[in-house]
Amino acid sequence: MTPRHHLKILLSLLFLFFLAACGDQPAPVKVDMTLREEQTSGERQPVITYAYLPQFSHTVSFERHHRLVQYLSETTGLNIQQIFPETFHEHMLMVAQGKIDISYANPFVYALTAESSGAKVFAKIVEPSGEAAFGGLIIVRADNPDIRTLADCRGKRWIAVDQFSAGGYLFGLGHFIDNGIQPEDFAEIVFAPGPGGKQESVILGVYAGRYDVGTVREGALELLEDKIDLGQIKILARTPRYPGWSFAARAGLAEEVIRDVKEAMFALDISNPEHRLILESAAMRAILPASPEDLDAVRDLVRRAGLE
Amino acid sequence: MRAALQYLSRLSFQTKINLGLALIIVCFGLLLGAINYAVSSRAVLREALLRGEVLSVNLSARSAESILSMNFLRLTNLVTEMVDQGDRKDLVYAFIVDRHGQVMAHTFRDGFPVALLQVNQVEDHQPFGMRFLDTGRERLYDFAAPVMVGSTRLGTVRIALSHSTIKTAIDRLMWINLAATAGATLLALIGSTFFARTVTRRINALRHSAEQVVKSNLDVQISPAPDRNCWEIMNCKEKRCPAHEDRLRRCWYLAGTFCPDCSAGSFPEKLDDCRNCPVYRRNSGDEIQSLAESFDFMALTLKNHIEELRRSERNLARQKQLLNTILDVTPDLVALQDEELAYLAVNKAFCRHVGREEEEIIDGTDFDIYSDEQADRNYHEDMQILLTSRPLSKEIMTRGGKGKKWHHVVKVPVVENDRIIGLLTTARDITVVKQYQEKLIHSQKMEDLGRLAGGVAHEINTPLSIILGYSQLLLKDFPADDPVAQDIGIIEKQAQVCRKIVADLLSFSRTTEQAALPMDINDSLREVAELVEHIFRQNRIIINLHLDDRIPPISGDKERLKQVWINLYNNAADAIGDDGCISVTSKLCAHRRRLVVAVADTGGGVAEDDLDKIFEPFFTTKPVDKGTGLGLSVTFGIIKDHGGRISAISPVPSEYVDVSPACSKKPGPGTVFFVELPLEGNELPPDECIEIPKKEA
Repeated sequence: MTPRHHLKILLSLLFLFFLAACGDQPAPVKVDMTLREEQTSGERQPVITYAYLPQFSHTVSFERHHRLVQYLSETTGLNIQQIFPETFHEHMLMVAQGKIDISYANPFVYALTAESSGAKVFAKIVEPSGEAAFGGLIIVRADNPDIRTLADCRGKRWIAVDQFSAGGYLFGLGHFIDNGIQPEDFAEIVFAPGPGGKQESVILGVYAGRYDVGTVREGALELLEDKIDLGQIKILARTPRYPGWSFAARAGLAEEVIRDVKEAMFALDISNPEHRLILESAAMRAILPASPEDLDAVRDLVRRAGLE
Repeated sequence: MRAALQYLSRLSFQTKINLGLALIIVCFGLLLGAINYAVSSRAVLREALLRGEVLSVNLSARSAESILSMNFLRLTNLVTEMVDQGDRKDLVYAFIVDRHGQVMAHTFRDGFPVALLQVNQVEDHQPFGMRFLDTGRERLYDFAAPVMVGSTRLGTVRIALSHSTIKTAIDRLMWINLAATAGATLLALIGSTFFARTVTRRINALRHSAEQVVKSNLDVQISPAPDRNCWEIMNCKEKRCPAHEDRLRRCWYLAGTFCPDCSAGSFPEKLDDCRNCPVYRRNSGDEIQSLAESFDFMALTLKNHIEELRRSERNLARQKQLLNTILDVTPDLVALQDEELAYLAVNKAFCRHVGREEEEIIDGTDFDIYSDEQADRNYHEDMQILLTSRPLSKEIMTRGGKGKKWHHVVKVPVVENDRIIGLLTTARDITVVKQYQEKLIHSQKMEDLGRLAGGVAHEINTPLSIILGYSQLLLKDFPADDPVAQDIGIIEKQAQVCRKIVADLLSFSRTTEQAALPMDINDSLREVAELVEHIFRQNRIIINLHLDDRIPPISGDKERLKQVWINLYNNAADAIGDDGCISVTSKLCAHRRRLVVAVADTGGGVAEDDLDKIFEPFFTTKPVDKGTGLGLSVTFGIIKDHGGRISAISPVPSEYVDVSPACSKKPGPGTVFFVELPLEGNELPPDECIEIPKKEA
């Protein structure tokens, strides 16, 4: 092999390596960026607003209720749109201001504010357990040696979901009072911060050991079963069950709208596969007619807890 | 290409190593740099794209809640924070659209470019989508990620990474890479230069020493002196060891060293034993040092060999000179031929003999020197000797410009290792020996003839005297005019002739009977000249005498010498016939120990072949009845009795030609006879007489 051949091979190798360095860049797509437009407001249609008390994150709320909302829209022919208040307080405020046409809230919120703002309960749900009532859970870390009984909670730090949460605060508070433990017996009572996701925040606060005692509603633990080891959480006590979540229409909402919605809601049948998907997504078994009297037990509890 | 290769081949070794290493280093540097650049640029691009993917997916996840709650402030904060965050300059834009394609938040300050909505559509099931966009001002990597909650799509987030920013990062990487490669190459070049100089410095020392050796300077020393010598390491006191105090050579190059572990062999056989020796382990070096030591050893050995060769050469040259002198001085012809009969060597005598220079003869054959006939004869003779291995010894006679020559030739085959490799020819000039031999034979013959003639004459003389006596008596018995008396007169006359012949024969044979008395040669020459002058004048023959008066008297038989002169004068007159001159000259020879008498005539001369025979008895060129052929023989005998010598030359040399006016008529070639006689004693002195010219060659 002559020196000329060696040179050729060397140059070929260099060429190949430089070629390899060029990469495999795709051909660019031409985009004209000069044509600019300011944002315009979308076309407004008459909308029936539907809000779910933000006890969970917005996405959980959306996932649970968007099928129901879609079903109601399709069934009633109304333009029903789910909106997401940031807090319990905002939800209550919007109900009072008439910004929420159909409110799905816990009995505590309803008992406190809905009635005073003229909202009227027209339906209640059957919990996945099959009851139209639900309770709360008092949780601690399973390895917390200081809390073995409910009495051990004295002097501890308590995190609750919200001051307007039924399962996450009210039911637990009532259970503590019923067992002789007053709010002032706790070293600290803290409510979960931020908009939405408060049930999860309580569980995670206890799980992280930042708080000794937490109160959440039934079924909340299952939300985190794929995120944390639930074996670390011990359910210290279960509260008595109270009437469950209910639908209320704002004052002034057209009766025919309420009627159409109610009909659509009551028509949901768990045995129907489509309805079953809607109901299970929303963590319900059925929607039943309801009247304000159904919530008397809660009103009583509020009074007992001194939260009026 | 060829010119470049020629240029490269002319470069120094160090430059070649430097260039070669530099080429390799630069090539590999470029190669590695290119590979590194290709790999790292791809990695940077991949990381950038991965980042875009992560950012878009992350933004998608973060924006879901805000989309649901229609929190435009938070959405706007999300996109603007993302684009403006810290020193992140590669994010060009970010925006969020809802599921209806309505823009909810964006980072464009002067209106939203609507064309962007049409590109990079992403499906619900795709985690993200990427398109490479060209806006005319710059190129962008546009990422789109769907905002999903469960299986429901809330909208789409879009972000764009600047291609130029990524390219800047890649370019920066390339420059860092290039600088690192260049730096590493520079360091490698410095290292290689140092390495090349270290190697070539020692090779240059070797080369310089080789040049010195070529220039016959064998006193070279390249290898460094050892820090400790063998006798110091081994604490050796053995002064007879050849390595002791030898600072030029390592001990493993020397044979017969005295160390107990040293083998008896010489380098390199003994090296196997030296490898475990502490001296070797301490003083041996790398391959170049071994080469240098070997070179030193070789130069030293070479020097010793050359000195030995020079001594041998001087010896040989002296012997050759001696041999040449011997061969050139010897008068014999000497020639050495090879087995092909080409001349290998000849001496000067041979060159003179063949009339050629030595250079012309060497490597030639007889065909280049002699006539074809002679060469052919020599060839067959020489080949016979070479084939039979029998030497040849012979005498040959040659005729040339210098006359007849005799040589004794000896041809001997030259044998080496039982094989004939040539032919040695020697030829000795034996002409003089031959001449003496001939003269000896001649003298012997003359002596025998004289003895024979004397005996015959003695026996014939008595009856002849009776015949003469009776014939004279009978004459008296008849009157003079009687025819019988005339017949008897004829008998008496012829008897007288016979008596004369007998007298000549007796005088020829009578060698010792002479009267040795002081006499004057010139006087005897004059007397005889006067005696015959009268008779010669009748035939108009003149005798001119040129006699040297300084000639002292000699001891001789006056009458017999007169007989010699009479014979010579008569012979000259007979040769002339009519009208001529006889020139008689007497001279003293240079050393004054002999005299010369020259008798020259203007006659017809004597043939070359006859000159040697004219002194033989009964040899004559005269017609029958005109001469007996005894005159010159008798003359020869008389001169010989006087211790002299007689010789003849024909034609007459110029210095003996008579130039007198009377002799100018009809000059023939002529003959001159030289008679040499000793002034004292009865024998000619050994020195030559320069007054007698030699026969012309």
